[in-house]
Amino acid sequence: MNLSMNFNDWAFMDFFVSMLIVGIGIALLATGLFTSYFGAGKSQKIGFGLLFSGVAILVIVYALTFDAGLGVTEQFNEKEFKQALASGVAALAGMMVGMFVILFVLMKVDTVDDLEDLDLEDLEDLDLDEELKKLEEELNEGDSDKPADEEEAQEEKE
Amino acid sequence: MDADYAEIAIIMGIVGAMLSMLGMGLLIAYYGSSKTRNVGFVFLVFGLILAYYLSTTGDSVELHNSLLAFIGGMLGGILGIIAFLVAIIKS
Repeated sequence: MNLSMNFNDWAFMDFFVSMLIVGIGIALLATGLFTSYFGAGKSQKIGFGLLFSGVAILVIVYALTFDAGLGVTEQFNEKEFKQALASGVAALAGMMVGMFVILFVLMKVDTVDDLEDLDLEDLEDLDLDEELKKLEEELNEGDSDKPADEEEAQEEKE
Repeated sequence: MDADYAEIAIIMGIVGAMLSMLGMGLLIAYYGSSKTRNVGFVFLVFGLILAYYLSTTGDSVELHNSLLAFIGGMLGGILGIIAFLVAIIKS
């Protein structure tokens, strides 16, 4: 592996700038396809705009890289552009493979904690009768807290 | 840069897998439960092994340029999605 720290060796124009523009083009193309298909009304029009922009950007990059017969001066080196494209696609594929491996392992591993790990001492110490009495007392207190007007009205009726 | 496409593909594939392992390993090791945390540490170790392998192999691949291409592509994708969101939100 050659990871040179001499920035003169770094081909920013052929690798970084070309792939940056391609990335923008592909993102606009994908979002434009999605929006123009599923969108309606104004959103659909925006989708067509994005789709057109994406296609235009990719065509411009192609014309700037390959001899398209348009009389445009080539800005990107053809061979290095292909290598940059291969690098980007390979790295994305590697990331996808890595994510699949991670998901596969996580699904195979038992991720639910065992019931033995639960602390059941608190439940064992719980006296249900006492808790029931407490609840009844709380309910009775709640009943006796009726508004004074209602109690007076009931007394008058009696 | 006279490296073969196959070598570039293999090296950058390993780079991608390494990034996934390190990133997801960190997340799982930090936020995971008692059982998944151990798996997160395993992913971290695996990512470090891949990083070590990358540092000792692929002599003819100029990794800085390949990484530039990858970062440029990712950045371009993010900018494209931002442009899409701006267009949708502004409408």
